Amino acid sequence: MKGHKLRLALLLSVSGLFLLAWIFPIFWSLLNAFKSEQDVLAYPPKLIFSPTLAAFRDVLFGPTSIVPNLVSSFIISIGTTIVTMVLAIPAAYALARLRVPGKKWSGFYVLATQMLPPVGIIIPYFLILRDIGWIDTYQGIILIYLSFSLPFAIWLLVSYFEDLPFEMEEAAFIDGASRLMTLWRIILPQVRGGVAVTVVFVFLNAWNEFLFAVVLSGNVVRPVTISMFNFVSVEQTLWSKLAAVSALAMLPVIILGIIAQKHIVKGLTVGAVKGGGRR
Amino acid sequence: MTKATTLDVPVGGRADPARMMEGRERRFAAALLAPAFIALMATTTFPLLHLGWTSLHRMDLAMPFMDGFVGLDNYRELLGDPRFWSALGVSLVYTFSTVILQVVLGLALALLVNGMKRGQALFRIVAILPVVLSPAVVGMVWRTFMLTPEFGVVDYLSMTAGLGSHNWLGDPSLALFSVVVIHTWQWTPFAFMVLLASLAALPEDIYEAARIDRASPWLCFVRITLPLLRPAIVMVIIMRTMVALTAFAAIFTVTGGGPGTATEILNLYAYRKSFTELSIGYGSALAVALLIFTLVITGVLFALRRAK
Amino acid sequence: MTARGLVQLEKIVKKHGSFEALKGIDIEIRPGEFFALLGPSGSGKSTTLRILAGLDAPTSGRILLDGKDVTGADARARDIAMVFQSYALYPHMTVAENIAFPLEMAKTPKAEIAPAVREAAAKVKIDHLLDRKPGQLSGGQQQRCALARAIVRKARLFLLDEPLSNLDAMLRLATRVELKKLQRSLGVTAVYVTHDQEEAMTLADRMAVFREGEICQIGRPADVFAAPNCIEVAAFIGSPPMNLLTTRSTAGGVLIGGRHVPVAASLEAGRAVVVGVRPSAVRFDPAGIPVTVEVVENLGDAAILDLTLDGTPLRARYDRFPLPREGETMAVSFAPEDIHLFDPTTGRRI
Ligand SMILES: Nc1ncnc2c1ncn2[C@@H]1O[C@H](COP(=O)(O)OP(=O)(O)OP(=O)(O)O)[C@@H](O)[C@H]1O
Ligand SMILES: [Mg+2]
Repeated sequence: MKGHKLRLALLLSVSGLFLLAWIFPIFWSLLNAFKSEQDVLAYPPKLIFSPTLAAFRDVLFGPTSIVPNLVSSFIISIGTTIVTMVLAIPAAYALARLRVPGKKWSGFYVLATQMLPPVGIIIPYFLILRDIGWIDTYQGIILIYLSFSLPFAIWLLVSYFEDLPFEMEEAAFIDGASRLMTLWRIILPQVRGGVAVTVVFVFLNAWNEFLFAVVLSGNVVRPVTISMFNFVSVEQTLWSKLAAVSALAMLPVIILGIIAQKHIVKGLTVGAVKGGGRR
Repeated sequence: MTKATTLDVPVGGRADPARMMEGRERRFAAALLAPAFIALMATTTFPLLHLGWTSLHRMDLAMPFMDGFVGLDNYRELLGDPRFWSALGVSLVYTFSTVILQVVLGLALALLVNGMKRGQALFRIVAILPVVLSPAVVGMVWRTFMLTPEFGVVDYLSMTAGLGSHNWLGDPSLALFSVVVIHTWQWTPFAFMVLLASLAALPEDIYEAARIDRASPWLCFVRITLPLLRPAIVMVIIMRTMVALTAFAAIFTVTGGGPGTATEILNLYAYRKSFTELSIGYGSALAVALLIFTLVITGVLFALRRAK
Repeated sequence: MTARGLVQLEKIVKKHGSFEALKGIDIEIRPGEFFALLGPSGSGKSTTLRILAGLDAPTSGRILLDGKDVTGADARARDIAMVFQSYALYPHMTVAENIAFPLEMAKTPKAEIAPAVREAAAKVKIDHLLDRKPGQLSGGQQQRCALARAIVRKARLFLLDEPLSNLDAMLRLATRVELKKLQRSLGVTAVYVTHDQEEAMTLADRMAVFREGEICQIGRPADVFAAPNCIEVAAFIGSPPMNLLTTRSTAGGVLIGGRHVPVAASLEAGRAVVVGVRPSAVRFDPAGIPVTVEVVENLGDAAILDLTLDGTPLRARYDRFPLPREGETMAVSFAPEDIHLFDPTTGRRI
């Protein structure tokens, strides 16, 4: 009986330690965003301090405002999401529901495109975009984001389309609906949930992408993940501002992640090869 | 060849109506698929071919006058390039250590949490946080608030524990260890969530039967849980391996590949060669090598999966 | 020709790979007829209905509706309504929206839709449920909603694939009667798939009995019951099924239990035959062939007796009370007009 209790205590503390290990770095950087610069620099690290919004005020409204970068991140992510969904929904429907010639090969092709190392795509892409003058443009970066968002979205959507009974569609045909009308009026309303989950993940992956953004960003396209580097330099790190920027970059994805928490395992394992474009 | 298995092909008859009906369906399917496939070709297949072609050239953005077709020269150079072999080694170490750590820790924690009667929801929520974050932001947070000597929390804990302060990212012998820890920190929750979901889906009555047969908990684990979880574990290994091989953002943010080339995985080397040293032709050859390396490892893993 | 709904299927073959689900079937269904497709599971009934609806294409053969070849036409071009076994209601639409959907697709003017929906719903008595979603309906109500959706457009042909099989026994009987009335009042041609011979017998004007992708017999239920044209149909139609005894013929009769029993057909003596007698046609006659009562199944107003006649089992319907006891010996006889004869090698009726 005593050994049993001891084991329970051990298990609880081990799992508690893991919880702490995961929460702490995020919690700590959030905490630092509410500190004054002196409080951040205090050593040993300070847990108790008088919170201030100064850092947020500086990074949002100060001379080095990151609002344009947040806007840039949103334009990239929303643009990628819209284009991806417009292309992926019809394709996923066809792969899931219709007799497609060479269906197996099409499916394999979509999967295989996910295996390409991103650095192998960005080198030629950089050369091509440079030639047509699309570096540092939204159309350029959104186009290349399709390379990871599209296969991912197609596979995730296929899994939702496949869950619907075929008879529903056949009933619509018999009721006189065209194929396009059936897709629009009967199928899509029933996979709204799946479409929403896909939107969340595509947005998330676009928001978090880094390698392509490093190469293709400039003065116009400058997402927050890139602008973060303005606050760390060899000479000086602006600690509390950096913490505030990190917090602002984390906020949207954490909200989305918690909204989509029930679907996260499915979103991460779809296609059983890998979960999107974050590296 | 796929036709015979998925479709019933009408026999005989040239303009027969049945074929017309299927033709209409196929045309509709093709129209739906075409835009996505064109986009995929344009953003993946075409760049890939372009990459292969570029890798056969000397292309130097700093010295454009030297550009030209050089055949396999880049690949020949690559085989004699110690930095390439070092990057390959770092890639292997980075990939295997992070994947093994993720799977072992993720599985242990999943088993632990699966046995809990209460509090599972808390773990599920917390596990989401690292996974949804941008690796670049994660890297930045670790680099600054966790690992900075005489400032970061990790360094503080190390000093408190009597291990002394270290230059976690600047010391070549510690840097690789640090980036492995960061990657493991971010992605173990992934393995944990997938394995916990698979564990929760295992049928309860098998365990009851085993308990009646008086199997010890360890025997239960080895003989029942592990074999049943095997597909999920293999899937996690494959997925994490492919991501680890092409990891970029976290290392780029934390060490930039340094100090020296201590944390320079192949992916990062190809990037630095192309975009820092502007030697695009050689960088392309490195990227092709990375692709081949990825395909070989994936092939081996898939073969292992099939072979049991 | 004024009536709509003439259906002709000509030599329809359907292959799945090398497997022949339909081996060349011919059916002609007259306008206004209630036609049943009856057969055991996997015999090709649904396949036939789907081909008729335009959901699948036949491998070869022709489909004509009102004399027009529609073999290659899409489902929506055929002017057909269908009720699915699973009902296939659109879960995100209300009952009213479900029923209105075919009208919308047919570009019916908005003003006409609402009254038409109400009329169709009233016909199947669900006009008080119009605002509900299918998920909030009982099985029987869902089934009615599917029916209303099918009748609202006044299509020329009405297809039903086991529409009653998801209902409980009581509801099934009640709905069966209503379905028949509905079809009569609409005067529409109906094709009805079922594996329940009782349903087919009570509902259909005519029926086709399927077996392994072929049609064994087409005819009025009473005719098929009275004169099944092969052993399979004989064994499938009637409850309990017909007794089938393998024996030999004698001059002008057959041997049953070692005795000569006269039959109506003329037979050469000494050939192998299968004798079929319905349980209800077994007569109890003290001067007949002795049998032993093995089991008595009491149905209340009658009983099914499991007998053995010279070692072979025989089932009989018995409606005189008191019932015999198990183990008792009785005697039976057969009237010549009740005896069906089949050829044991071809299975055809003699
Ligand atoms: N897509 C398919 N591929 C291969 N075989 C099929 C396919 N669809 C149907 N079949 C086969 O065709 C045969 C006829 O099927 P069908 O659905 O018409 O039977 P049914 O008479 O409706 O039976 P039930 O009463 O069980 O519904 C069956 O043996 C079935 O296995
Ligand atoms: Mg069927």
